[in-house]
Amino acid sequence: MGCGSSLPDRDSRQLGRPNSENGGGQDAKNLRVKLVLLGDSGVGKSCIVLRFVRGQFDPTSKVTVGASFLSQTIALQDSTTVKFEIWDTAGQERYAALAPLYYRGAAVAVIVYDITSPESFSKAQYWVKELQKHGSPDIVMALVGNKADLLEKREVAVQDGTDYAEKNDMFFIETSAKTADNINELFEEIAKRLPRPSVS
Amino acid sequence: MAHFSFNLLHSLEPKRDSYGFALRPQYAQTYREYSSIYKEEEDERSDKWSDFLEQVAESSEPTSENEHKDTLKAEPESNEVREERNPHKLSNGDDSSGRQFSELEEETIVVRKSAEGNEIIEETIQDRVSKGGDSSDRTTSGGTEIKEGTSPGRVSEGDDSSGRNFICYSATGNNSGKEQHHSEERKTCEVQRWAEIRPSLITIEEIFSSRIKKGKQMKGGKINGINVHLPSIEESEPVDDGINGSRAENALVDQNLPELFSRWKELESLVQGGVPKDLRGEVWQAFVGVKKRRVESYYEDLLARDESEEQDVSSAAFGKWKKQIEKDLPRTFPGHPALDENGRNSLRRLLLAYARHNPEVGYCQAMNFFAGLLLLLMPEENAFWAFAGIIDEYFAGYYTEDMIESQVDQLIFEELMRERFPKLVNHLDYLGVQVAWISGSWFLSIFVNIIPWESVLRVWDVLLFEGNRVMLFRTALALMELYGPALVTTKDAGDAITLFQSLVGSTFDSSQLVFTACMGYLAVTEARLKELREKHLPSVLDVIEERSKKGRAWKDSKGLASKLYSFKHDPGSLEEERILTEGSDTVADGNVQLESHSSNLDEMLNSLNVDSEVGSLPHLQEQVVWLKVELCRLMEEKRSAILRAEELETALMEMVKEDNRLQLSARVEQLEQEVAELQQVIADKKEQEAAMLQVLVRLEQDQKVTEDARRRSEQDLAAHKFEVHVLQEKYDKAMQSIAEMQKRVVMAESMLEATLQYESGQSKALSSPRTGRVQSPRFENPTRKVSLLSFGLGWRDKNKGKPNAEESSESLHDHSSPRKESDNQ
Repeated sequence: MGCGSSLPDRDSRQLGRPNSENGGGQDAKNLRVKLVLLGDSGVGKSCIVLRFVRGQFDPTSKVTVGASFLSQTIALQDSTTVKFEIWDTAGQERYAALAPLYYRGAAVAVIVYDITSPESFSKAQYWVKELQKHGSPDIVMALVGNKADLLEKREVAVQDGTDYAEKNDMFFIETSAKTADNINELFEEIAKRLPRPSVS
Repeated sequence: MAHFSFNLLHSLEPKRDSYGFALRPQYAQTYREYSSIYKEEEDERSDKWSDFLEQVAESSEPTSENEHKDTLKAEPESNEVREERNPHKLSNGDDSSGRQFSELEEETIVVRKSAEGNEIIEETIQDRVSKGGDSSDRTTSGGTEIKEGTSPGRVSEGDDSSGRNFICYSATGNNSGKEQHHSEERKTCEVQRWAEIRPSLITIEEIFSSRIKKGKQMKGGKINGINVHLPSIEESEPVDDGINGSRAENALVDQNLPELFSRWKELESLVQGGVPKDLRGEVWQAFVGVKKRRVESYYEDLLARDESEEQDVSSAAFGKWKKQIEKDLPRTFPGHPALDENGRNSLRRLLLAYARHNPEVGYCQAMNFFAGLLLLLMPEENAFWAFAGIIDEYFAGYYTEDMIESQVDQLIFEELMRERFPKLVNHLDYLGVQVAWISGSWFLSIFVNIIPWESVLRVWDVLLFEGNRVMLFRTALALMELYGPALVTTKDAGDAITLFQSLVGSTFDSSQLVFTACMGYLAVTEARLKELREKHLPSVLDVIEERSKKGRAWKDSKGLASKLYSFKHDPGSLEEERILTEGSDTVADGNVQLESHSSNLDEMLNSLNVDSEVGSLPHLQEQVVWLKVELCRLMEEKRSAILRAEELETALMEMVKEDNRLQLSARVEQLEQEVAELQQVIADKKEQEAAMLQVLVRLEQDQKVTEDARRRSEQDLAAHKFEVHVLQEKYDKAMQSIAEMQKRVVMAESMLEATLQYESGQSKALSSPRTGRVQSPRFENPTRKVSLLSFGLGWRDKNKGKPNAEESSESLHDHSSPRKESDNQ
């Protein structure tokens, strides 16, 4: 698959540290987060992940079969490091039958639609409801409108995304995997919203 | 064009492998190292397969007479296709390089598709017009959209498949103009898109077609009255007689042909060693039974049907599939040279035809890769029937809307993993990793885009040969065996999965993978899998049923089952939830939590199972079974290790040969130089020889001249001798004449003296007696004078040739005159 990975990309700050969830002290905390991407086929889920993990955009990415895995670690302002374990799922409708395998136990769900496709926005709403029914109760959910660079072809208004996200207690952001707009911001915002193990 | 691009690709860093598929940069080095190994293996297996096919052809010719007749009958139809392929085969014969043949094969595909260029353009236009506003990706340009009225043959009642059959008939029964157009299109398609496999593979096809025949009979029994379109009517469950684990083997036993059975065993060994590139497309068709499955004109009819002819319900689904297919076409092996516009059009047609053929499946992502792969190996319609066989039978229920069989297989695989690799699975549980996260995409993609292409093709060789999914499980277990130990050292779920994916993606040693899979897991059989499927199917159905229901009451009643399912397949999530809740995490606490999970499971099981006493006995039995399985596994591992040792030994010998080859090549170069030098020497000597020949020619000429001179000399000498002889004779005669003349002279002198004495006497005597005697001496004197003159003339004439005759006549005259004188005396 195009999303296959080589050795894990590690943040330089994490080198030499024990890879453990046990925080050594108040100054540094390491989080491991299982994150699942859901959304209609062709909206750009795999491209978002590839841009985030490798900084690449591949216009000829392959169809995702089942799910593919990539991981990436980021550092926050308060010295917390967050390691995302990202499951990028297949978007065709019938693969919804397999989605529970990947979103069950996930701490974060990123639900992606394409701003040029109202159909994909409807599908995104389906996934929000699905997760509210069967997902973890305290899952962090993000609504992402991708392909924001195709402004001239927009068919889903920003306000529609914003309203739906507010109504469902999600945060909303529009991105472009092609131009890298808001990709890192998406994951940083997710990291900020993660519950901390302990508040000192 | 393809050939040219391949040349460029070969000169650069390899970004694509020899099949044209994308190669990731981090694997380029490994691939280059294995390229030479692949080539050697390819040469070896080509030889083995050639020998095998020759033996089969010799021993099985009588039984395949009918097939040959069928081939002859079919020949006129596919004549052009055969002609088109002949240069292909000739080229293959000239060059044994599999890679070049692969390029030529792809080039042929390209050529064939470009030949269809005009029709494809027309079809594309038609598709655009018919789609109208359905396509959000494309902009329809030109032409007015014409909507045709509902077909009179359209049927909205009854069985969907029978309705489709009616539609097939009515499609051909439309107006004559349209019919002519379709018939023309069909003729062209038949010529260009369907081809028979080569005769040497007919026997193999015959063997593997027997298992399809059974399927047809069973299906025929279930569905009455529709015999023509049997292949289009597929059961949701696979028709599987493989009690022995393989349909082909079972078929052979039923046929009671011991010779064929031994051939089958030999063929199995060859298949596990890999099918040669130039045979693969046709061998796969034989394994799937493409020819047996085919119904003539069926594929063209599927393509010819208009969207408006679909039933309302299936029309909506079909539109969805069509849209999805359009999305996925450019994302199927992107950049592959064979999947240009023409290749993509073939892929579209194949997938759309299949969606109509089997609406229970329609189109599912992953199928695009299988269809693309088959199109690289065989003509379009052949690929369609191979594809239908794989999806309808090998993977029945896998790609339907609910993907039931796919989920069941993952539960089965997890159970097998716990049996074979308990430590690894325990470690994964500890990390919170589910087996199905890793293996799920393996099974759905049949390892396409998972492992390197050489290995994918090797796995598919065995999979298609066996006729079931056993090889899928064995390959997955082999990958776990090869790379599982590396995971046991990881402490993080992300690192474990990332490392494992990287290792799996580097499985370039295709022989190791296939042999480990085939030899190491003989206990994984089709019969075993069937049992496990029956065991795990209910739980999958329950989950699906729960999801489809929305009522709370139903949910509550199934709550326990859901929790059990959740715990079984996602223990990590519960663990993570507890960790987050409790807020602290230590190794000791982890152990406690694991125990608490275990106790929870026990509670659930106790609540489900009333008789707790009975549980101990099955537990012991399970332990016994587990121990037996472990023993079998160890024995198989030993066997596998021995096999691996043999492989290494073979590789070592090959390396030794390779080293020797280098020396030999150096010697060959030296010998070639020596040969060149010798050739120069020979050339020089030839020149000398030519010069000497010229000299000899001259000498011969001189000899001839000398010889002639000598002959003339001899002739002259002979002549001289003759003359000398003649002269000698004349001299002798002359001496004799002289002697005689001397005698005459003496006599004359005597007579003269007498006469003188007489005259002196008579001068004294009378006159009358003396006068008469004087006259007689005068008469004699002229005679003497004449003879003297003639004698003198004779001496003069001796110097001339002609006077010799006169001389001889004179001598005769002289000879006669002495006689007269003697007479006178």
